[in-house]
Amino acid sequence: MKKVSIPACFILVLSLLLAVGCATFLGPCAHEDGSVGACFWAGRALTGIGAVLAVQAVMALAVRSGRIRLGVYLSMLPAALFGLLTPGTLFSLCGMASMRCRAITQPAGMVLSGIIFVLACAGAVLDLKKNRKENP
Amino acid sequence: MILKADSISKRYFRPTGQANYFEAVKPLSLTLASGAVTVLMGRSGSGKTTLLHMLSGLLTPTSGKVLLDETDLYSLKDGALSCLRNEKIAVVPQGRSAVDTLTALENILLPWQLCRKNAPVERAEHWMEALGIAALRDVPAKELSGGELRRAAIARALCQETPVLMADEPTGDLDDENTRLALSILKDAAKRENKTVLIVTHESEARAFADEIWKMDGGTLHPEQ
Amino acid sequence: MKTASLSLRNLTRRPGRTWALVLLTGFLSLSLFAGSVVVMSLQSGLNSLEARLGADLIVVPKAAQSKASFQNIFLQGTVGAFYMDAELLDEIAATEGVAKAAPQTFLATLKADCCSSRLQVIGFDQQADFTVQPWIVQSSSRELGPMEVAVGSSISAGVGESIRIYQKSCPVVARLSATGTGLDTAVYCSMETMKTLLAAAEEMGVSHKVTADNSDGVISAVYVKVAEGADIDQVASSLASHPSWKTAVVQTRSMITGVSDGLAGVSSAVKVLIGAVWALAFVILLVVFALLMNERRREFAVLRLIGASRRKLARVILTETGLVCLLGGCLGVAVGAALVFPFTALIESTLNLPFLTPSWGRILLIAALSLAGTVLMGMLSSARTAWKLSRVDTGSILREGN
Repeated sequence: MKKVSIPACFILVLSLLLAVGCATFLGPCAHEDGSVGACFWAGRALTGIGAVLAVQAVMALAVRSGRIRLGVYLSMLPAALFGLLTPGTLFSLCGMASMRCRAITQPAGMVLSGIIFVLACAGAVLDLKKNRKENP
Repeated sequence: MILKADSISKRYFRPTGQANYFEAVKPLSLTLASGAVTVLMGRSGSGKTTLLHMLSGLLTPTSGKVLLDETDLYSLKDGALSCLRNEKIAVVPQGRSAVDTLTALENILLPWQLCRKNAPVERAEHWMEALGIAALRDVPAKELSGGELRRAAIARALCQETPVLMADEPTGDLDDENTRLALSILKDAAKRENKTVLIVTHESEARAFADEIWKMDGGTLHPEQ
Repeated sequence: MKTASLSLRNLTRRPGRTWALVLLTGFLSLSLFAGSVVVMSLQSGLNSLEARLGADLIVVPKAAQSKASFQNIFLQGTVGAFYMDAELLDEIAATEGVAKAAPQTFLATLKADCCSSRLQVIGFDQQADFTVQPWIVQSSSRELGPMEVAVGSSISAGVGESIRIYQKSCPVVARLSATGTGLDTAVYCSMETMKTLLAAAEEMGVSHKVTADNSDGVISAVYVKVAEGADIDQVASSLASHPSWKTAVVQTRSMITGVSDGLAGVSSAVKVLIGAVWALAFVILLVVFALLMNERRREFAVLRLIGASRRKLARVILTETGLVCLLGGCLGVAVGAALVFPFTALIESTLNLPFLTPSWGRILLIAALSLAGTVLMGMLSSARTAWKLSRVDTGSILREGN
């Protein structure tokens, strides 16, 4: 009997939120003069990371082998970590904490990536346990 | 140990023809000797189970006393009575009596884990072996069949190592072979460990294993000729 | 230990049931924790606003549209500037009932390169000042030198870096502690520095002069401390009614009252929400526990049969509930923390109220209390069922369904 891996469902939803959100309602604002800054590129990077994680979540949902799924979960960890570090650490954002980019994009990106990281850990641990039970 | 019922009765509030109560067990006295198997027979609704519950300290009688040697069961507080049940009176109840989240072995050891120290795993395994459920050791109770649960309940009562053992329809879900096996194990326990054993049943096969047979009818007790 | 291990096994071997309960109780602690943090942050925002205002009255040009625009700079960090003749300061200081008068000059920058946004620069007179200085002292013990600035906590430039304002490089010598108000997004400098910056602005075509023969320059606001015993309303009206000044007077008391009214509104809304969540959750938990325990009547009857006392049975049930609530409580606090702390700037701008998160010690205290509240609530709602179950006649349960 094949069961759907629950963490992967949540990861799929959250990573889509990250990808779509950072390009739209969670994204940094454009400058008045139309130029773009670090915030804009950080938002783009988060969209990319969200898309990658979403694809990985789909793979985790699609594969039948618990071992392969374990691998997919493990590969999500560095991607989620990258998402966690993107706004503020790898990309310096604008200097004013009250700006949209610092008030919305950064915290949303970090919280979503953080939760995805935790869920991927949970999924990996669950699969590890299951694998051990089935192939001791 | 001697278990003595001293003119106990049980009434339930239930409007019947003349009275507003129903007397499930009419005042009766009974002594169960150690080292003997007493079989209590009777039709459904004759008050067998009510009597067993009163004798085992599970149901307070409307009148009368139940004495285990010198101890009046129902004069004890709940904590002391519960402890006494755990250490002195093992019961195999009717129907399912396992905790579903535990395995068969854990269920059998539960009385020990609940109140005492060092659960005797080897004793438990011995009784499981004797009753033919050794292979079910680590199977969760919810996956066991009726007959398997019944035998696990008997193993639990035996493993409890009490001077008194009462069983309510212990062979209810068992086939003929297992019925004989269970009854002979109970009889054996009574003889070898000097247990006081009471079996409530309507299985006529139980007669062969009895030292004493009582019949219950409409809440009254008669010795069987 | 026996009851605990039995409870634990019951929980781990029914993961679905356990997680459903954990989620339910998680909502409880989430609402309590996040709600309390928001209410307390608003309260400390108000306190810090009161502490930062320091003055009784603030005199601003009529052009500042009396209160509104000034209040926006103060509360929401809107960037803006308005000017009046600096000579008014002496006249204000000489007014009867005025004990102290300290001028401030505002400058709104164009987009500063540090911050991809406009900045509010506030120049203050380091000798006369009694509102900004006490705050700066907390982070830097010396006075601001020429061209040196102190920055509010929302500006990310650190001490040792410098920011450019109208082509002038200004080294940052202090970062101020957060206030939760619009003051956090401002840059502070001495009056001398402000004069240089104003001149630089003028060079770039931004004019600040109010009169042609302005020698002493311009000021934007005068902070007034009323003499002891003097009537604040009276001083305010005499300052506001001067025919030739064209000034307006802001009473800080009314500003604070305005904020605290807003705070009271939000706080009571949050409290009602918490109350509603808890009342609902209590009823749901009561029903859920009653149903769950009812389903397990037989299991509990078996425990009674093999020698569990009423007390022990109640302990098994309460331990189970306690563990579930503890787990749910921790989860709720964690989610609450992830929802509130990263988004303080967003909450502040949405509520339009000063918002200052309490100290870590207090946050830990709130977390502990939320956890304790959740566990207590869970225990209470299962206590009734535990009590009822342990009273029920074991014999009759064992006979059921045979």
